[in-house]
Amino acid sequence: MNMNKVLSGFFFILAMTLNFGFFYGTPEVLAEHSKYELFAAIVVNLIATIFKFGDKTQVGSVLLATSLVADIQLIASASVWALAVYGLDAMDTEMSVAIISLSGGALLANITSVVIFVGDTLKSKR
Amino acid sequence: MVENNSSWIVIRRLRLPILIIIVTFAISILGMVLIPGQDSEGNVYHLSIFDAFYFVSYMASTIGFGESPYDFTYPQKLWVSFIIYLTVIGWFYGIGTIVALIQDEVLHKEMVKSKFAKAVRNMDESFILIFGYNSVTKALIRKLNQMETRMVVIDRDQQAIDALRLENYHPLIPAFSGDVFDPKVLEIAGIRKKNCRTAVILFEDEQKNTRASLMCKHLNKRMNLIVRSTSPQNSEFLETIGVEHIENPFEVISNRLYLALTAPNLWLLEMWIYGHLLKIKEREVLPRGIYIIYGYGRMGRALEKGLGKAGVEYRFMDAKLSLREYDASDSLYHEDEIEEKLIAAGIKEAAVIIAATRDDLINLAVIALSKKHNPSIYTISRENELIDLQIFKAARINRNYILDEIIINKTYNYLSMPLVNIFIEYLNHKDERWGKSLVDRIVTKMGENPNLCEIRISAEEAYAAVHELEKGRTITLEMLGRRREDYRIKNDLLFLMILRDGRPILLPPDHFEIAVGDELLVICLEESREDLEYILNNYYELYYVMHGKEKATGISRYLIT
Repeated sequence: MNMNKVLSGFFFILAMTLNFGFFYGTPEVLAEHSKYELFAAIVVNLIATIFKFGDKTQVGSVLLATSLVADIQLIASASVWALAVYGLDAMDTEMSVAIISLSGGALLANITSVVIFVGDTLKSKR
Repeated sequence: MVENNSSWIVIRRLRLPILIIIVTFAISILGMVLIPGQDSEGNVYHLSIFDAFYFVSYMASTIGFGESPYDFTYPQKLWVSFIIYLTVIGWFYGIGTIVALIQDEVLHKEMVKSKFAKAVRNMDESFILIFGYNSVTKALIRKLNQMETRMVVIDRDQQAIDALRLENYHPLIPAFSGDVFDPKVLEIAGIRKKNCRTAVILFEDEQKNTRASLMCKHLNKRMNLIVRSTSPQNSEFLETIGVEHIENPFEVISNRLYLALTAPNLWLLEMWIYGHLLKIKEREVLPRGIYIIYGYGRMGRALEKGLGKAGVEYRFMDAKLSLREYDASDSLYHEDEIEEKLIAAGIKEAAVIIAATRDDLINLAVIALSKKHNPSIYTISRENELIDLQIFKAARINRNYILDEIIINKTYNYLSMPLVNIFIEYLNHKDERWGKSLVDRIVTKMGENPNLCEIRISAEEAYAAVHELEKGRTITLEMLGRRREDYRIKNDLLFLMILRDGRPILLPPDHFEIAVGDELLVICLEESREDLEYILNNYYELYYVMHGKEKATGISRYLIT
């Protein structure tokens, strides 16, 4: 068992599941989406990004790229939320849908990342 | 493809610090959100995630704007005092790592390497790869740099590279310190690039030279190599692997002695190319008689060939035997033994002494001792190191051969004046009468110190002439030799050689018609060179010397003619 693989796999998959947890639910109703879950998703995604740093292989670069995409999408989602509440003072359906759909994009990136990770692990002979 | 390692090093080193910052921030923010506070009216209030993120950000970075949005309650203050230490330590650890990284030796090396690789990559003109930065290559680089030739230098020694950087050459010469026998280093230095035209390998160590040239030949087959080699076996091997140009200073010396003995004017022509006046000074005339050569090494063997061909009586003395057993106690350089040997070889009736050992001090001692026994003897010495020049000058030696200087001049000529090199080759096939008449012709026309220049009939160097030739007009050498102010007067220049399709034509006649692609080797003065360049490049000047009247253009064409 490779401890490094366990740790990084744990964070990659946790990032995806948290992301999904936040994304799941009616997009128009913000009450169905926990802000704590979004916070956790951002933190875990950032940690997952760090784990992908410094891998010079081809697969490593693609993994890092997907992670960066997920980070940007999630941070954008949180920023829209903060902007809607404090900046515009108007949390309407449009804003709510924007927040959720941004996190949906991040979810796609996270799924890609996990698929590549699992595929690479299966290919490995050790 | 050369990898860029420096950014990877930064990313890898920053993994842990960034991880710590993220985790500490996450814990702190979460705590701030969960712990209830009070607003100004005393209602229970929870910080939003954004509030918490804002507060933690300025707290962790020790900016500290104060408690926001309301003053904290005691449970909040308790948590804040805990997370201050948590986040600030994480933050400082991150900054400390970045500062340490900037000073990091490994990173610094990688950055220098990638900067060098980038400079080489960006070079579009053809360039010369130079191995080693020492007194020989330094002089060569200085000369080539004046011609704006692009070069890349590699040397094992960092100090040598630093010295080169201090010289502030322009155009820039990328330099790198690394193992010159490491293919990776050579690759970074651009050896595989198409525009890497030539490599110059002039180490004193023959083995090093051979090794480097073998590697160059394997890495880039089309490249020209200039290699220093003084032993016949080694030179033969270098020729087998296809080295284009072998620098052997001893052969040059031997050849020059041969020329000086048999055809002084041919010798004079060759020396003039290297900056000598076109006049044989009295002390340069080699006397006839017995030649004594002290030292039978690589130079001795080369001299044997030259002197033998010239039919001179010579005697060799082996310098090796006595000097193997150095003994510091009685005499450091075995002066007594040298003296005995010289007398035994007959120094008293000899005409010339040649000191040809590889030790400059012994050479000087030999010269001094020979003069002691035979004050009228003609002295020839070999100087191995350029640094000893002052001492050799003070010793008043009739003829001093400086190995380094010969190599510098030869290599420079080969690289930047290829026609001159061909001309020198030709000198060996001519006789004294030919040389004498040519020297007389040059001297009566242009004095004892004319210049040499190479001009190629191409759009860059002879714009107007190429244009006229393409129209089908004929231009003869005689036309080019006319003056700009009056076409009936001949200019002070002499067309020494023309290279057409790789074949040299020595002293072409006046009615010779030039063609596009010809390369001209011209003896000229400062002024006549300027005239020639104007005539070749400027329409009006060319028209004038060709037809003897001004070229009319535009409307005036219809008015005047």
